[in-house]
Amino acid sequence: MTEPIHILLVDDDPAENLIMRGLMKRVSSAEIRLHYCETIDAALDFIKSGKPVSMVLMDNRLQPQADFRETVPAMRQQGFIGPIGVISSSLADPYFQKFEEYGADFRIDKAELDPTAIEFILGEYLTRK
Amino acid sequence: MATLLKNHRRYHFDDDLEKALNRVDFFRIFHTMSLRFGFDHFAILQLGNEGDACMLSNRLALHDLPSGLAEEYDKRHRFGDSAAYKSLHTSIIPSIWKADDPQLGHSSNLVDQLGFEMLICVPVTGLNGARYAVLFLGDCEEIDQQAHFELCYEAVCAFDYFYRLVLSNKAGLGLTPREREILRWISHGKTASEIALIVSVSEHTVNSHTATILKKLDVVNRTQMVAKAIREQIIQ
Repeated sequence: MTEPIHILLVDDDPAENLIMRGLMKRVSSAEIRLHYCETIDAALDFIKSGKPVSMVLMDNRLQPQADFRETVPAMRQQGFIGPIGVISSSLADPYFQKFEEYGADFRIDKAELDPTAIEFILGEYLTRK
Repeated sequence: MATLLKNHRRYHFDDDLEKALNRVDFFRIFHTMSLRFGFDHFAILQLGNEGDACMLSNRLALHDLPSGLAEEYDKRHRFGDSAAYKSLHTSIIPSIWKADDPQLGHSSNLVDQLGFEMLICVPVTGLNGARYAVLFLGDCEEIDQQAHFELCYEAVCAFDYFYRLVLSNKAGLGLTPREREILRWISHGKTASEIALIVSVSEHTVNSHTATILKKLDVVNRTQMVAKAIREQIIQ
């Protein structure tokens, strides 16, 4: 069996944690451990703690006002060099075209997140060399 | 991308295509396209010479097939024997294949072997003539003419963007500011993980930029990359 994949979900809506947990259970090709932080500060502390994180999935907008243009650089400044994906339900906003400049690896719409998409992303960023 | 004209008709789907930047974006576009037309999966295949020994798993340029399906298929079947694969070398007309086609023997029935009901093959080419095919697989029974036409047209358009942005050999093209920055750190002897920390991106992004720089400078490793970059005065 391969090593478990640690995914850190950062989302200010705890319901998303439950939804994502259900989604991850339907991914059969990898053993996923989902960790959850409600705020960017908690996520930064999680990274600082040294606990393993293979990938971060970050809700675009976190309370009170932050969006990925602030949160992703903050994660990078904390020294996280794994992949970061930004989840949003409004990818059409023009500033999303610059996600790579802010240190994010990919963007995905909430509605597009299904087990197939998760498997593709894992293959693309964590298992494919 | 600014190279297309309005004459290149992309109808309602040009918005997503114009915004696509990386493989995940194209995965999203093709994945959504297959679901919208009632299919479950898509696969983009690179075609070689018909006679070459070929396996399904190493021909896939992008796909959303269930994990391990292509590898499992290759253990049991010969992709080169399938009628669908052979047909891609006899015509560029899009084709439809059914699992219950009585004309096909089991050894040549790719759809049946993969465990689906229907397959649509849309042959496409990159700008340089490189041949590929976009495949849509699912358990639908039939597709009407209008939907088939639309699917083929959308697949051609989306593949064109995918090819130009992701697959094409970018030799001779200029480096972006971010690529020049990464090249400079490579020339200072920094590793990918060190550069990721310095530039505030992921290690995956650094490796992906490095692969693009290798292509653009038409070199095979980081040493040759730096030597050529100095020769060409891209870096001092």
